[in-house]
Amino acid sequence: MVRFKNRYVLCEVVSEDPRCRQCIEERALGLAVRDAIARVHGDYGLACCSVSFTVKYLNAYTGTVLLRCRKDSYRLLCSALPFVRHLESRAQRYPCFLNTLHVGGTIRTCQKFLIQYNRTQLLRLLQNCTNEEERQCIQKSLLSCSLTEEQSQSGDEEEDDGTE
Amino acid sequence: QNILTVCFSVGYSAVALNHVIDFKEKKQEIIKPVSPSELFPSLPIVQGTSKRIKVLTRLTLVVSDPSHCNLLRSTSANIRLYDIIAVFPKTEKLFHIACTTLDVDLVCINVTEKLPFYFRRPPVNMAIDRGIYFELLYTPAIKDSTMRRYTISNAISLMQICKGKNIVISGAAERPLELRGPYDVANLGLLFGLSEGEAKAAVSTNCRATILHGETRKSACGVVYTVKKPRKVEEEETGVPACKKAKTQA
Repeated sequence: MVRFKNRYVLCEVVSEDPRCRQCIEERALGLAVRDAIARVHGDYGLACCSVSFTVKYLNAYTGTVLLRCRKDSYRLLCSALPFVRHLESRAQRYPCFLNTLHVGGTIRTCQKFLIQYNRTQLLRLLQNCTNEEERQCIQKSLLSCSLTEEQSQSGDEEEDDGTE
Repeated sequence: QNILTVCFSVGYSAVALNHVIDFKEKKQEIIKPVSPSELFPSLPIVQGTSKRIKVLTRLTLVVSDPSHCNLLRSTSANIRLYDIIAVFPKTEKLFHIACTTLDVDLVCINVTEKLPFYFRRPPVNMAIDRGIYFELLYTPAIKDSTMRRYTISNAISLMQICKGKNIVISGAAERPLELRGPYDVANLGLLFGLSEGEAKAAVSTNCRATILHGETRKSACGVVYTVKKPRKVEEEETGVPACKKAKTQA
């Protein structure tokens, strides 16, 4: 069967500025990544990677990004991701960096990884909790995260991003 | 301290704080390293495992003259307090000395300018035998485009000589945003010409080996090997007259 094989790269946007998280947009992120590929690999690299390049999923609360590219050119993409230095949106520049978490062949595997990762992140937040209510909130979301039919992810629930 | 917090959140399990000693100015004293417990009252836990993160101290000596190496052999007590010692040679002769005789854990390879000397195979092979690792920095590559070219060209020339063994990729981040996660750094290794397995090793196992090398350098001065010797008295007696004969003949 002839099928296009893709690679899905799961990244996390890490930044010092708390406002940066809220202004993440798909288009801005796509432009930033393409710009980094152009700087590192030149015109050939940009052309190769942009065959099937899209930002598939973006979660502004946790800063999780899922990128898609062709299997043949995912190495070019992955090696250019460390060179993303800032995001631009609405004429504002936010310095940040992308941290690659997982590379998978399908969205489903990336989703499974993301659920596990969010679970560990919630556990870590649980340790730093000071408030009893926050503690209970987090425990509740920990117990309820799973791969359900509605595709609800635990990352969507309100986490205390103050510690990030 | 911010940098360390970001490190921990991104997934590193051991971090080394670096002090650079440059010998251009005279009369540099080796200062005592900052103890990591002063920075953090309690070290946070590594993501994913239940062990605490190790914070180590590291000393980098920038040598441009053979007399600077005497500092390593001196009995200054402060040197012993550092966990890892790295040397940054500026000339070919110093590179040779660092690989063969100096008692260091890491040899830094300059990434910010064109190398004044070419790597030769004999000192590199001796360094690999001795367990010394070559270090490449990735932070200048992220900052600046010309540095990126020098980094890649120096790294590739090193790869051609040492075939990708004994490489450590590390970052000298001065701000928390110049840091990159371990998976990303391994991907950078692919740009430098390493294979995928070697690149991952450059971030994980080689670093651990360097830490162990530093620990053995701090603790062990020699190894005593005892073996039970079988009785060889008769053989010795027959051997002795043979020696005497040999001496008289020679």
